[in-house]
Amino acid sequence: MRSFPLFSSCLTALSTLVSAELNLSQPLLSKQVLPATFKPPQVFKNANLVRTTNLDKSYPRETINVIIENVDSKPQSEYYLPFESGLISRVGGFEVKDKKAPEKGIFKVEVVEYDTESPTEFYLIHLPTPLKPKEQQTISISYSVLSALSPVPAQIEQSSKQYLQYTFSAYTPSAYVTEKQKTKIKFPNSDVPDYTSLPADLNADKKPDPQKQGSTFTYGPYNNIPAGAEELVSVRYEFTKPVTHASLLERDIEVSHWGGNLATEERYWLSNLGASLKNHFSRVEWQKTSYMNPPTSALKALPLPLHPGALNPYFTDDIGNVSTSRFRPGVREAHLELRPRYPVFGGWKYSFRVGWDADLSSYLRRLSTGESYVLKVPFLEGPRMPEGISYARVHVRVVLPEGAMNVKFSTTVPVVDTAITLHKTFMDTLGRTTLSLSAINLVDDFRERELVVTYDYPWTAGFRKPVVITLGMFAVFAVVWVVGSLDMSIGKKKTA
Amino acid sequence: MAGTEGDQFLKQATGRNTRGMLRVIILCLIAGAAVSSRLFSVIRFESIIHEFDPWFNFRATKYLVQNGFYSFWDWFDDRTWHPLGRVTGGTLYPGLMVTSGVIYHLLRFLALPVDIRNICVLLAPGFSGLTALATYLLTSEMVTSPSAGLLAAAFMGITPGYISRSVAGSYDNEAIAIFLLVFTFFLWIKAVKNGSVFWGALTALFYGYMVSAWGGYVFITNLLPLHAFVLICMGRYSPRLYVSYTSWYALGTLASMQIPFVGFLPIRSSEHMSALGVFGLLQVVGFVEFVRTQLPSKQFQTLLRALVLIIFLVSFGGLVILTLSGVIAPWTGRFYSLWDTGYAKIHIPIIASVSEHQPTAWPAFFFDLSMMIWLFPAGVYLCFRSLTDEQVFIVIYSVLASYFAGVMVRLMLTLTPIVCVASAIAFSQILDTYLDAEMPKLEMKENGTSEPAKVAATAILPDGLRSTRSPLIGVYSYASKLTVVGASAVYLMLFVLHCTWVTSNAYSSPSVVLASRLPDGSQHIIDDYREAYYWLRQNTPDNAKIMSWWDYGYQIGGMADRPTLVDNNTWNNTHIATVGKAMSSREEVSYPIMRQHEVDYVLVVFGGLLGYSGDDINKFLWMVRIAEGIWPDEVKERDFFTARGEYRVDDEATLTMKNSLMYKMSYYNYNALFPAGQAQDRVRGARLPAEGPQLSTIEEAFTSENWIIRIYKVKDLDNFGRDHQSAGAFDKGHKKKRASKRKGARVLRVE
Repeated sequence: MRSFPLFSSCLTALSTLVSAELNLSQPLLSKQVLPATFKPPQVFKNANLVRTTNLDKSYPRETINVIIENVDSKPQSEYYLPFESGLISRVGGFEVKDKKAPEKGIFKVEVVEYDTESPTEFYLIHLPTPLKPKEQQTISISYSVLSALSPVPAQIEQSSKQYLQYTFSAYTPSAYVTEKQKTKIKFPNSDVPDYTSLPADLNADKKPDPQKQGSTFTYGPYNNIPAGAEELVSVRYEFTKPVTHASLLERDIEVSHWGGNLATEERYWLSNLGASLKNHFSRVEWQKTSYMNPPTSALKALPLPLHPGALNPYFTDDIGNVSTSRFRPGVREAHLELRPRYPVFGGWKYSFRVGWDADLSSYLRRLSTGESYVLKVPFLEGPRMPEGISYARVHVRVVLPEGAMNVKFSTTVPVVDTAITLHKTFMDTLGRTTLSLSAINLVDDFRERELVVTYDYPWTAGFRKPVVITLGMFAVFAVVWVVGSLDMSIGKKKTA
Repeated sequence: MAGTEGDQFLKQATGRNTRGMLRVIILCLIAGAAVSSRLFSVIRFESIIHEFDPWFNFRATKYLVQNGFYSFWDWFDDRTWHPLGRVTGGTLYPGLMVTSGVIYHLLRFLALPVDIRNICVLLAPGFSGLTALATYLLTSEMVTSPSAGLLAAAFMGITPGYISRSVAGSYDNEAIAIFLLVFTFFLWIKAVKNGSVFWGALTALFYGYMVSAWGGYVFITNLLPLHAFVLICMGRYSPRLYVSYTSWYALGTLASMQIPFVGFLPIRSSEHMSALGVFGLLQVVGFVEFVRTQLPSKQFQTLLRALVLIIFLVSFGGLVILTLSGVIAPWTGRFYSLWDTGYAKIHIPIIASVSEHQPTAWPAFFFDLSMMIWLFPAGVYLCFRSLTDEQVFIVIYSVLASYFAGVMVRLMLTLTPIVCVASAIAFSQILDTYLDAEMPKLEMKENGTSEPAKVAATAILPDGLRSTRSPLIGVYSYASKLTVVGASAVYLMLFVLHCTWVTSNAYSSPSVVLASRLPDGSQHIIDDYREAYYWLRQNTPDNAKIMSWWDYGYQIGGMADRPTLVDNNTWNNTHIATVGKAMSSREEVSYPIMRQHEVDYVLVVFGGLLGYSGDDINKFLWMVRIAEGIWPDEVKERDFFTARGEYRVDDEATLTMKNSLMYKMSYYNYNALFPAGQAQDRVRGARLPAEGPQLSTIEEAFTSENWIIRIYKVKDLDNFGRDHQSAGAFDKGHKKKRASKRKGARVLRVE
């Protein structure tokens, strides 16, 4: 929780929970707005930088391993990484680690912004220990960019290959001088029909740029690139898999002490951002080809691995149960295979909800210090597919029992907004304590991250419900008895 | 032994309370059985709204819950009957939706936020429990035997005739209307018996509720006056009748006029005139009764004759004049079809095209009512024996309802309550006679004989001396008792078996979802309807207009949430005929119609691949007939039959048939699934022509997994201003000049 205090106000744009589309053009708001004239102090230089762009999945994953060196006379701890303002709202899962000692944990990062006219915004990385002058440190920055791939051509035949295009700068964006750098691009296969070739004299080795090795391309190395330099290149590669994107995921986790149950429900607003169909969908062609099970850009199934012990799964959408799902409970993991009602081709949408129960005891522990409980649940579950899935917005709601207090949480997922509210539902008098967390631009890499919630739950609170119901019943009986014994007849009484 | 102990227990001082308690428990169990026997579909499938009409009711309920009562009342729905729209708030019976809305908000208030869908799905079973209770009350008013009421409640709870319209998910007006019907009749009987304004007003209140819930309220509107009229004719006029009828009519008519859809009908339409007439008659009779007490009988006779003649002439003449001048609406077509079953087929094909408006087949009575169908006359006969005021009601009700149930399948529903009541009376009479074990046993002990059968036999011998000595009349033989009671028990069990079987097999399919079995015995669900509807909902623009035959209008509105041209509220025959014409005409004729109506997608149901017989080709003749009703020159039913009068889809199908849009849409691209020339239609068992139909003005947009639903997109106008045929020919690479020539020839030869 402490790791991301400055994100907490970032979410005015996200407060509308109902609208399914993320307004990507809207910049994130931040506490720290710098003047337009701001230029990061040139206190670092990048001694060596290797960027790896992984295009295996339906979103690019960037990993920047950089040796930074303090060129200032004083110890420094603030390292800036620039992004274009249109891009930064699509950057997700930004994490920085010490390459040499990843066990030390994730560095504190925050978004800083010039005033709105400025095209550049920064991620500010706080090094945990200030770097002394002339000293070097290797840091590893990783993030993914959502909605960065566009299908080219935008319309394809139903069973033809799909090609995606990715445009980026060959020079890794940096606020500092980079002495030596290169960019590796890993494609899912070697079918790369188009890519930008840079002149060989830019290259430090004077070799053709990029260098090809199977399905890996390398741009660079380049020497002494000044801060802010940019050289746009694009690559186009085959990706005949669905580009699954959830514009919104709502995830409810409900804790029931009485029932010993942990109920999870997830609501997805999915779309396939791949190439749309040139002609309309042809069932004949689909049925003919589906015997061979060829690669396709349509989303056919969503395998959803659940934790072992998951029970009573359901898979519904706005008009009821979707009968095309299979559930295989297992010892290691329970496997829920969801099949949408129809194959989701590029440009098509599919929204649904899925939920299941689980035994609470494997998620909840009572602390020895009395009435405190610790709940450990995954922050994000969701489908696990080789091509991955990206989430523009994720709202996680942990519904604790009525009367839970002192709610604290911690998670390694970058959370942009938190709130603790009351959620009134079945037989509640006050409402259940609810912890709402919002995150943006997540990808399926985050699906094993944990969310730990601690709260106090006095035993008296557990008896609120039975007592209220009992009192209510008695009140009804009493009223009925009183009304029944009233004599409201007009005229003379029969017994008199 | 336990039985006698129980009997002793019941005879004790607390007997009355105990029996009352027992009765309450039994009634609760009956209600429980009634509810649970309706849950087959929820358990087998899911909590889902069934059929067609319930989808509209569900949609309207959601609108009510979301937008509040007043905007529901004023609801103008622009998403149906495009481009006309529908004043939905003023053209529906709001009782059902308001009931669900009230339950929804009540549960919310009690901190039970139940989903509105579940309330709607379970409303009908819940009300069937109440119906069982109301039947108990009604029957208890009829006879003194307490067992009759319980039997009637049990019959009502599980009889298939009622279950057919009240399974979980069958969220239709009948779901609450049958309860209201029975309960209103109970209150009416109560009012007639007591002659109290209170019960009369309650009758009016529930009558008003009934009016708000179902068009079948007209049945009450005519049955109660008929009852009153028959009582008067039998010379049973009494102040009790006067008080109860007038208070019901005055208040009930006012209440019914509060419903916008009914409005001034109660004083303007012919269906309501009998109630008004009897109201007037009662005033006259009441006045005459008053005069009789004041005048000598000679003068009274003269006065009476004159009075009766004048009043009859004046009122009848007035009625005729008002009807002719149009102040009173003439009888509607649906009403005529009640008297002449052939009427609708000739004059209003749209009414005849609904399967539930067909005359009932004989087996349906046995299917829906089982053993009650032969107990029913016995019960009516028993009513004739004493023929009190309320038993006259049973007689009238059974005669009328029997007739209506024979005319229209769906009116079986109004027959069912009275069948339950009458057969319960008959059955309880049997049981009361044969189960009464106490009296003869005591006698036997007095006689001190060890052979009860013999004693019982001697006791009833027609020996004058003996019979005067011990005037015991009845059946006292254990053998005969056992036989009859045993047989009755077997019948009852068979009845329960039959009801459960029918419910489970015939009435528990949502019809949106089809179930089948895989070779390994596991259930396989064919969910094509929802697949296609959900595709429409997710992947078409929010205001894309869908054209389909009207059967699917409500489902498209409810599940796909898209505007439709026509739906199951068949108020505009011309509009439906327009769709029928578009479906049954050639593409060149249909395309302008579709453009004029801004149609974006056309949806057809095709069962040929799966053998699903309820598809559009089988309904096609109704489309043709309805279109022919409006455009007799352009659409002719005869053209769809071969020279030998056969309705065919294969090679020998007529040209008109093969060129019709419906035929083309159903079979477009279907050949590609089969080896050349092997395409087979599994519903009609026909081998299709080797070359499939070609479409030029519309294109296939989506076909569901089993081809049940096929959706076509209507093409936009051609960019170069050509017609779509020549544009298509150009795309195929034909030369322009020859293309037009060849196109004409090809159409003639192939299609």
